[in-house]
Amino acid sequence: MGQPLASPSPSPAELRSNAAFEALLWALSRPGQLRALEGEGAIVEALIDRECTVYATDPAVARGAERLGAALVGAGEADYVFAGALPSTALLGELKQGSDLHPEEGATLILAAGFTAGDRLCLSGPGVDGALSVTVGGLPAGFWARRAQLMRYPMGFDIFLCDGAQVMGVPRSTAVEAF
Amino acid sequence: MSLATLTRAWEPMSYGFLDGSAKREVRRKMLKAVAVPGCQMPYASREVPMARGWGTGGLQVSCTLLNPKMRVKVIDQGADDSVNAASIRKFLARVSGAPTTTDTLEADLIQSRHRIPEEILREDQVLVLQVPNPEPLRPVQPNMSIARQMHADADYGRMWLQLYEQIVRAGRVMQGASYPSLVNGRFIMTPSPIPRWDVPKLHMAKHLTILSAGREKRLYVVPPYTRVEPLVFDDVPYRVEEHGGLTCTRSGATGFFMNEIPQDDGSSAYEISDSDFGVKSIRKREGEEVAFGATWYTGGEMEGQGR
Repeated sequence: MGQPLASPSPSPAELRSNAAFEALLWALSRPGQLRALEGEGAIVEALIDRECTVYATDPAVARGAERLGAALVGAGEADYVFAGALPSTALLGELKQGSDLHPEEGATLILAAGFTAGDRLCLSGPGVDGALSVTVGGLPAGFWARRAQLMRYPMGFDIFLCDGAQVMGVPRSTAVEAF
Repeated sequence: MSLATLTRAWEPMSYGFLDGSAKREVRRKMLKAVAVPGCQMPYASREVPMARGWGTGGLQVSCTLLNPKMRVKVIDQGADDSVNAASIRKFLARVSGAPTTTDTLEADLIQSRHRIPEEILREDQVLVLQVPNPEPLRPVQPNMSIARQMHADADYGRMWLQLYEQIVRAGRVMQGASYPSLVNGRFIMTPSPIPRWDVPKLHMAKHLTILSAGREKRLYVVPPYTRVEPLVFDDVPYRVEEHGGLTCTRSGATGFFMNEIPQDDGSSAYEISDSDFGVKSIRKREGEEVAFGATWYTGGEMEGQGR
């Protein structure tokens, strides 16, 4: 009895979820900074279970979420929206934004993007020391303007941008200026 | 599909004590709390082997974050060696295998009850504060549904009225600890019962602060580089405790937050509240080589605090 308690060791799945969450927490609390994260599957494993509703365009992600007990629903009802590469900004208008009473009910949007080439963005707000300039590509035209137009803080949705093994967080509290 | 693909291997206990679904829920709520700084997020607050009100909120956050490489420090009113701090530290180490420390500089995760260490926390450190009462509006609005509506509307007039009444009655703001503060210009939060001395340490800090109330089942976050402004009137400046001129009788350190120790003759002796900082000061005085971090306060003054 004493032995397992004296030297607890995490299972590989536990280690993966722990590392993925640490990356997500760091990314969201420091918008614009890149953290290592093994793709959308790692987000599913760390966060999703039967208490969540999920919308995913990638059938593999949807299957993974469903296997963990999540209900697959339309983008308008989902807590977690795995939209992959976004063709247009139409999806943004459908997302849950929570309410002033319960801002936490806003959706989390996970998108595929690129950090090597693309638009130059200037981020400011909580988690950013002054202002931070980043490069984000692969998003539809007018994405950031549409985001700003839709959200009325504290309501809104939070974004994770994934590029291969890297993730960037853009919470609703971040002001994004596109050049 | 086989049964083996649907289940996990048997384990004597969940790593970090909390089971998977509890951790995932805390994770989801922590991320939302980061996105809306200072806003109280409800969470399930599972059972842990400790009485509600003794730091179960902080414990659940720590259990979720911990891994075997994360070095943990636990303090209770500044002290590493009080019963509550020692028990929580021992528990966290036993359920996670994480190494422990009392040195603020060595710690990756600091769980604290009612104090923030005197040495400036780095970007890679996480501070977890235990919160007994997360609702700053409770003294002016005991109904929590109405209080939530007031937060939703940013209807904080009564908070200002409360401070005004204190100034009219007593000539100064009587709020000693858990001084209500505006986070990111939107939500008023209680910074947990840290002294007024510690509240400016949260303003535009480099580290992430997670505040969690287990009994009240709510958590909220102050992300790094976030404005945390104590509520003050323009003509009545915010004042921290007048500890800047006090000297610790045991370590000789001056200009930090002190515990007052009443003496038989009616006078008071003072002892530094951040116990590890005191220990390091004593070791330094005895000639040992000790590494100190930069402190928030120098000479009893905080930069930009002379408002």
